[in-house]
Amino acid sequence: MSKPFSIDVGGLRSRAKDAGTDAVAKADAAGEVHGFHPREPRGRPGRKPSPRTGQVHAKVLPHVSEEIAEEAQRRGVTQGVLIEEAWALYCARQSREG
Amino acid sequence: MPTIVIASPKGGAGKSTTAVLLATELAAAGAEVTLLDCDPNRSITLWSERAPVPRRVAVLSGVTEAEIVRVIKARDQDGQIVVVDLEGVASRLVSRAISQADLVLTPMRATTLDATIGVRALALVAEEEEALGRRIPLAVVFTMTRAVRSTQHKGIEASLRTQGVDLIEPSLMERAAFSALFEFGGDLRTMPAQGRMEGAIENAREFARAVHARLVAVPA
Repeated sequence: MSKPFSIDVGGLRSRAKDAGTDAVAKADAAGEVHGFHPREPRGRPGRKPSPRTGQVHAKVLPHVSEEIAEEAQRRGVTQGVLIEEAWALYCARQSREG
Repeated sequence: MPTIVIASPKGGAGKSTTAVLLATELAAAGAEVTLLDCDPNRSITLWSERAPVPRRVAVLSGVTEAEIVRVIKARDQDGQIVVVDLEGVASRLVSRAISQADLVLTPMRATTLDATIGVRALALVAEEEEALGRRIPLAVVFTMTRAVRSTQHKGIEASLRTQGVDLIEPSLMERAAFSALFEFGGDLRTMPAQGRMEGAIENAREFARAVHARLVAVPA
């Protein structure tokens, strides 16, 4: 049976190790040389949600989107027709204001 | 306090078993130990969920490539030994962990395949030493060894010694108690008896003592 093992905690000192961006970049580069590549999945791919509408592809706020969709359905036209009409109104107002 | 990184790109080399044995034996000897589980297989976390974690051992799970340097840095202070268990792949997480190591331990089964793949960890450490301009001590521990060493084992050992690689004695033998750690959790002293427990405890303790000797031998 071996002698009891006990650690003198005071004998183990913390040692300075560079943890800065440069050191990490050097470690990464050294790893690449030997085939130690990034293997963790990257962040979720694709477009981030709009900070204004909270939606990925939304051009307008959700309640406006619903209202446009309902109006287009009521009239039997596509939503693009309503957008074209809105654009025509906008252009007319711009030319009036001058 | 020192950071010990358990690294080998070879899966099944015994990294997690080495990490648990080392952490629990160092804790039993009086050290405060933080075990970082950086393996997506969560072996250390599974061990920690089997039974209460032994006194003076803390487990941190799911440490990622982006976090590893910061997490080690936060715990690399007086009163702590940090043991980092990594996945058995060649990844950037491994190279980043090694950059913060005071000692890199490479567990290796005494087979040609383990030695061939395990040597990549040794080459990486040498490359990082040069890039970072500091010495990173490295030692190899043979795992799952038998009482009678095979010709292959002797050959690999001789080859590594010739190359100046530090080999830890004793090696970690193939023992039912070591693999049962992941069945029962806790440490060798708290688990139900598995084979010759006295021999297993002595093997683990002498291994931890040999690792500790290397930690205190590293010049500050």
